[in-house]
Amino acid sequence: MTEVIERLIFSQRKLVVFLFVLATVFLGYQASNMRLDAGFEKNIPLNHEYMQTYMQYREDFGGANSILVSVCDKDGNIFNQNFFDTLKNVHDQLFFINGVDRSLVVSLFSPSTRFTEIVEGGFAGGPVIPADFNSANPDALDLVAANIEKANIVGRQVSNDYSCAMVTAQLLEIDPETGEPLDTLALAGELEKQLRDKYESDQISIHIIGFAKMIGDVADGAKDVLFFFAIAIAITAIMVYFFSRSIMLTVLPLLCSLIAVIWQLGLLTTLGFGMDPMSILVPFLVFAIGVSHGVQMINAVEKQAVSGMGAKKASMVAFRRLLVPGGIALLSDTVGFMTLLVIDIGIIRELAITASMGVAVIILTNLFLLPVLMSFLKLDRDYVKKFEGKESHTSKFWSLIAACSNKGPATVILIVTGVLFVFGFIQSQQMKIGDLHAGAPALHESSRYNQDTFLITDKYEVTVDYISVLVETTPEACTSHSVMKAIDDFQWKMRNVQGVQSAVSLASVAKTVNAGYNEGNVKWQVLPRNQQTLVQAIARVPTSSGLLNGNCSVMPVILFMQDHKAETISRVVDAVKDYRTEYETDDLKFSLASGPVGVMAATNEAVKAAQTPMMAYVFGAVIALCLISFRSLRATLVVVVPLYVVSVLAQALMTLLEIGLTVSTLPVIALGVGIGVDYGIYILSTKSLMLKKGATVQEAYMAALKERGSAVLFTGITLAIGVSTWVFSSLKFQMDMGILLTFMFLVNMLGAIIVLPALSRFLWWRRSE
Amino acid sequence: MKKVIAASLAASLSFTAVADNAFKAPLVKKSLLLDVAATDYAVIVGERGHILLSSDGNTFEQATVPTQSTLTATTIVGDEVWAVGHDAVILYSSDRGKSWVIQNFEPDLQRPFLDVHFFDSEHGIAVGAYGLFYRTKDGGQNWSAERHASLLAPIDLEYLESVREESEEFYQQELNSILPHINRVTFDDGTLYLAGEAGLLAHSDDKGQSWQRYDVDYTGSFFDIKPLDEEAVLAVGLRGNMFVMRNNDNWEFVNTCSTSTLNSILVASDSRVVSLGNNGMLVSATRPLPVSEVDPYANPLDCTPAEGVSKRQVEDKAALVNAAQFNGQTIAVSASGIKTLNLEKE
Repeated sequence: MTEVIERLIFSQRKLVVFLFVLATVFLGYQASNMRLDAGFEKNIPLNHEYMQTYMQYREDFGGANSILVSVCDKDGNIFNQNFFDTLKNVHDQLFFINGVDRSLVVSLFSPSTRFTEIVEGGFAGGPVIPADFNSANPDALDLVAANIEKANIVGRQVSNDYSCAMVTAQLLEIDPETGEPLDTLALAGELEKQLRDKYESDQISIHIIGFAKMIGDVADGAKDVLFFFAIAIAITAIMVYFFSRSIMLTVLPLLCSLIAVIWQLGLLTTLGFGMDPMSILVPFLVFAIGVSHGVQMINAVEKQAVSGMGAKKASMVAFRRLLVPGGIALLSDTVGFMTLLVIDIGIIRELAITASMGVAVIILTNLFLLPVLMSFLKLDRDYVKKFEGKESHTSKFWSLIAACSNKGPATVILIVTGVLFVFGFIQSQQMKIGDLHAGAPALHESSRYNQDTFLITDKYEVTVDYISVLVETTPEACTSHSVMKAIDDFQWKMRNVQGVQSAVSLASVAKTVNAGYNEGNVKWQVLPRNQQTLVQAIARVPTSSGLLNGNCSVMPVILFMQDHKAETISRVVDAVKDYRTEYETDDLKFSLASGPVGVMAATNEAVKAAQTPMMAYVFGAVIALCLISFRSLRATLVVVVPLYVVSVLAQALMTLLEIGLTVSTLPVIALGVGIGVDYGIYILSTKSLMLKKGATVQEAYMAALKERGSAVLFTGITLAIGVSTWVFSSLKFQMDMGILLTFMFLVNMLGAIIVLPALSRFLWWRRSE
Repeated sequence: MKKVIAASLAASLSFTAVADNAFKAPLVKKSLLLDVAATDYAVIVGERGHILLSSDGNTFEQATVPTQSTLTATTIVGDEVWAVGHDAVILYSSDRGKSWVIQNFEPDLQRPFLDVHFFDSEHGIAVGAYGLFYRTKDGGQNWSAERHASLLAPIDLEYLESVREESEEFYQQELNSILPHINRVTFDDGTLYLAGEAGLLAHSDDKGQSWQRYDVDYTGSFFDIKPLDEEAVLAVGLRGNMFVMRNNDNWEFVNTCSTSTLNSILVASDSRVVSLGNNGMLVSATRPLPVSEVDPYANPLDCTPAEGVSKRQVEDKAALVNAAQFNGQTIAVSASGIKTLNLEKE
């Protein structure tokens, strides 16, 4: 079979190269149209129970995708002309940014911001900022200051210390101008350009938070990512040159790996996908996996060339020997990544497509194109000379490592591995789900976005961290005292859960209004039993408040949280679940959940639920392909066991580094398996061949090391050095991934050349010396 | 008969209520609290039937209470404590607030009690919305309702008398709905003072059997009335209005320049009185109180307070409802819970 393909390809070398050039030109053109693309909804498990509730009521109560703009006065007092002029400009500007839901832009300047006060004759009220407001008049500012107090909006629209005021807006999911999904990154750019650039000054600072701004900042940081990719590629190139001692042999594997990346990006664009900022590392991983296979290829060619073959012959032999192991490794990656499709979160599905496609094209570029290109080279005597003597002095090194297969060292290695595994397993069980820190975890704590988050959390009582529990009951239920009391009781119980900062519902507002109807006397701050009185209180709350729907059959209880750490969220969600098992009836349901934290709660649960199946699928694919190709349970075990230990250790490392398992970090572990599986399969393929020929474990391993070991060792170290530079990235996300990938490149390599032989020593007990 | 039904209803309801209110809320000290009473121990009552007890003014413990109705007022006589509130609930404790029983519970009345006073451990009154007035002569085992038409403004009284000529039944019905809210009763040196809705200030020399209404030139509601010394009686109310009466003469206006409703009067010292109000307002006035001619309905924006009157707001601006001196501290209750006030600042 292999020989048929080999003959077919090497007899038409120029045609093959031509076809590849053609494809690369086409896909390269496509890739040049590649754009970054971020959407709120693809980060959400839309079919999760909570998100069903969220989608159902999004029209009534607004979505979770909001933007908060805090305008702050540097002197700490907002009551001056300059501040109010700027605030008005910011409000107007935000109103006109495309993608903003114009009916839901709220600030001091929106007409819905009103105050009510109690006077001898009843109520008096009006907009907080009157129609004839003139910011130049100090008396007008004094009046607004008094109205703000009466309107009871301090902590929400005005900061507690009166140094800032807030403009909030909700974002649409569909762009009203184009009918396409909203371009979140363009919107983030507009926010920066239209608001911060225009209105930030010596006197005024502007702080913007919300998903759109966060992902925009990540995308900006992603430009940095490209720079770090370049560094990693440069380091790899230098290392490959030292390994191959030939410029052409350095250029070709890197070129083929880059072609794989180009194809991947081109295919993505052709299929209509964009690149999500959170998936920006995938092209690099494709490159890395490509390099790993490319180095195996040049290593094999070099070995053949040194033994006296010409370049073409050497390339053909290398192709023949590597097609099967390389193919299995890449195929199991592809299948493994494809299984990520079963996870019902848009961004992970995109990643599954991106990654599996990337790995699949490596089969073409590095297992076919690369040997064909190398067959055109002239590997003359000068080249061969460079490697003379190398064999003899590396042999000593290999025999040292080969000792791993001896009984004593093998026992020690397995014990150490076992201890590490137990330690890692215990640690990995403590891995936290979701975001572990306040602010955006993808960004550094010192980043502008996170600093803005801290400022807003500090100065206001409300943030974007809120969860809505939707109380679903019968139509007109808000006129029933018992329903309203049930909502009020629920709110009070939830308010008392640690991590809930404040809470609001129709019931709590109705109580305040009732006190208002009784001359503002707080002794009347109760839900009236009299239905007419209750209706009178509720009638003052418009549906635009987001506290009731049109026929008040659904009323959210909004819980503002101190933060969105995973444990805070699960504490609150658990409290809701406990409460409803006790108090829920057919006519009164407490449904989770809406609001940004409701979305996070659903995502956390989906990620947690996906974790085990995902690992099962990825390993399932690797195991199945190993079984098919090696036809040996033992061979499969020696490949899979070290891989599994490393993936457990990687989870332990995530626990130690306080990296939570989120939509963006979940696939990393699966990708790590993809990185590691190459090493094991390459080493084992030579080794199992030798074992079949009747060699002892030690002999077989020595042969495998000589043939493939240097490439494995080299690849692991090279890629690890490349990604370790990511620690300096301005994106916290890339820094975290850099640490994790460095760990996985190195430890998987060690697993393949140390643990694999030690394990073989005991699995092929009778064949060992 | 009606009483028996109410009492048995109360008993049956209280059973479930006890189970419900076993919830000891961590945030109870920050919840809406409406009254504080203190002798050598302090009792604080508020929303959802919350009752907090303290023996030192620093630590507070939530008592288990057989109701979830919001409690608006409390009073202490020796070891006995009464608390009243919405749903016409009256609670009684004989052990300094540790355990409570329901003496009255009439949710269908749809009227809250707003204040309670006991002259001794047997005789007491509970007053509230729409002239609600209950009296007991046996420590609260039996409560009887009274209606005091003498609390009405002359013009309303005139109307009622004309109704009475037509039918006694219709008169009682009208009286039941026309009577003003009674917000506060204060007993001092044999005189019972009363503050209520729509300019109502009154006093009684027979523990509230009969009432004489004061003539005040203000139609807004009063929330507290308190004699300061032998000469002066002070009343506070809606939109920061403060009136003082000297030597049983006319009520005179004290300009505070505050538009926040004042809920309670606290005599801070011989030379100073403090009033607590909505929006966290604290109005402090030196004694004797300065009076002025200013119109209580004037535009508050250009206003100079009377001499010796100053105001400030507590930090969170939560409505301050009442306060009591206890264990060397001033303990206030507010819409955001217990606050220890430092009156040295006034």
